[in-house]
Amino acid sequence: MPTEREFQVAPIVPESVMHNTKALSNLQSLTASIFGVAAGILGLESYSGFLFYFIFTILTTILFYTFRVAPTSLKSGLGAFDTSRYFRTQYEFWAGGVFGGLAGYILTWTLFYGLVRA
Amino acid sequence: MASSLLRPPGHLSPATALQLSQQAPIIIKNSPGAVTASALSSLFSAPETPELWTIYENLLLSCLRTGDEESAHLCLGRLVNRFGDDNERVMALIGLMKEADATDDATLEVVLKEYEALLQENPTNIPIVKRRVALLRSIGRIPDAVTALTGLLDFSPTDSEAWSELSDIYFSQGLYSQAIFALEEVLVLQPNAWNIHARIGELLLMSVKSGSGDQNDSAKQLGEALKRFCRSIELCDDYLRGYYGLKLVCFYDPPYRPSKAVGLTSRKTTTQLLNDPPKPPKQAESDGLAPPNLSTLQKLDGLATEKLGEITRRFTAGEKGLAGL
Amino acid sequence: MAQLPPQTIQRDPQLFYWILFPITVVMILTGILRHYATVLMASPPKKVEQPALKEQRSLMHGVAVRSNFHVLTAPSFKARREFLTTAFESGAYLKDPERRGQPPANPMTDPGAMDGMMGMMKNNMAMMVPNTLIMSWINTFFSGFVILKLPFPITIKFKSMLQAGVATKEMDPRWMSSISWYFLCYFGLQFVFNFLLGSDNAASQMAQQMQGMAPQAPNMFGPGVDADKQFQAEAENLAVIKHYSVLDDVEQRLLEGIKTR
Repeated sequence: MPTEREFQVAPIVPESVMHNTKALSNLQSLTASIFGVAAGILGLESYSGFLFYFIFTILTTILFYTFRVAPTSLKSGLGAFDTSRYFRTQYEFWAGGVFGGLAGYILTWTLFYGLVRA
Repeated sequence: MASSLLRPPGHLSPATALQLSQQAPIIIKNSPGAVTASALSSLFSAPETPELWTIYENLLLSCLRTGDEESAHLCLGRLVNRFGDDNERVMALIGLMKEADATDDATLEVVLKEYEALLQENPTNIPIVKRRVALLRSIGRIPDAVTALTGLLDFSPTDSEAWSELSDIYFSQGLYSQAIFALEEVLVLQPNAWNIHARIGELLLMSVKSGSGDQNDSAKQLGEALKRFCRSIELCDDYLRGYYGLKLVCFYDPPYRPSKAVGLTSRKTTTQLLNDPPKPPKQAESDGLAPPNLSTLQKLDGLATEKLGEITRRFTAGEKGLAGL
Repeated sequence: MAQLPPQTIQRDPQLFYWILFPITVVMILTGILRHYATVLMASPPKKVEQPALKEQRSLMHGVAVRSNFHVLTAPSFKARREFLTTAFESGAYLKDPERRGQPPANPMTDPGAMDGMMGMMKNNMAMMVPNTLIMSWINTFFSGFVILKLPFPITIKFKSMLQAGVATKEMDPRWMSSISWYFLCYFGLQFVFNFLLGSDNAASQMAQQMQGMAPQAPNMFGPGVDADKQFQAEAENLAVIKHYSVLDDVEQRLLEGIKTR
């Protein structure tokens, strides 16, 4: 963890961090609701539905990493799967979206499941 | 193009400003005029965004700069329609317009009187205070401008714009240490402003060049100038002024050593710092401001030369997005 | 244990058009209404008198010097520290110096203070009123209907919550009544508002509740805060800073950074 002094030497601009986080959470809530529609139409139930959600959310995050984060962050000398160039914590990037989008996913999943199946 | 309208136009080159103001009539025609009060029509028209009003304000400034007063009046009219003429920012813009329309000093005096009347009413109207300072400065009443600015900074010491204006006024009067103090205040408020770091470096260098202060002081100031330029490069690694300043510090030829030949090509003789690192006085050492040793200086000089060359090359190649230009 | 055959219930498709759809639309519209109501009710920044402004900004200036001391060189930092600590300790920036040491005024009697509280009240009202209204609306008109089936099983404990108003003992708790659809919307509509209103909207109750739960930043210039005490504390903070500067060794860092690049 960098010390306070290192932050002062190499400052982090809070606006940019906010922007990055917002872009990520927007993407995740949109994809979560779309996955919900898909799961509802496919008629997934209980575990398979949640499994579907987790797999596809993680897939989205990986795609996001490969297309948006990796090209510049690998070039600047960071290791693979290291997102510290754009995000403050690794947890925020890899796991934050799974829980942020869950409520939207359940809503659309239930709605479309109800419309199509039951 | 619209993006350059979202930022204050102070930094634009004259060509860009001219281009913007030439497009002003089109922009004004295309964007919605007064936002109507009727709820029904506002449902169908384009939504009102904060950007629209920023665009109007900046367009107004660009138009005034290029002398297109007709478009400027249109912009101002729309701003007044939206925000009313008792909004502080709009009041300042109205004042600016009157200043631009004024043809002789007597009219300017009238505008100044108006500002003072407004300030009597509400002494915390910061945009008007700033307009008054600018007007006082432009009609040559520098001491009054300084008094007004220090008055503003007394009750609002967190206004970095005012601090940098104060610094500029002091600098124009040759008061380097005061100018540097004011810029340091800007840095306290905006700690990552690389241009301010470089500007402090420039002021320090000029203050050394002007020859005030003894040799001991100058060495310290040169050391600090070097560090300021380095910091500004550290924050923005293609900042032209930072590299140029660094180069200037490394090649600085002091006025009180007239025996040296001035020739930028012969490295051996030109620089005081490179050639003859001053024995660091005890005082300077304790402040951590002593100029670095010879090899570091040479490396920094090489770095600056290389980077300057690169920036020049990229600029002549017409590359866009050089942050330092 | 033998698996029970899944229950099926024949439902009228009209339920969708007359219950599910209206509730969803109303929820979305209330969210939008709430957003615009918050925007409209946001009171414009109040005009501050010059001495009060001076007091606030001087304190902010002190904080700025304390947190960004690293941009200054040692001598200029020392000069500022000396000046500011003396000024802070002597109370030079106070709004009304003669009231030093007295307890702060009662916020209830101060008209300025009432404004701040009104703002909070308004926000709370904007959250509370629509919720209560919609809840009672749903309870009056739509109670007793089974409209949807959850796609995942849940325990019997949820039965009373999800099937409020449907007093059928044997029914699978996965069947949900209109009021539970309301709760699902309540939690899950954030993404809709994100795309309708932009992501920093005031539409979602969830986001606002999250804010409420987060520890509130102490109101720095609020009423009932003794400015003199704040200045004293700030003077102390300034006095104990151990100064260093980002300018220390900057040329070394620069050269190293260039080498590694």
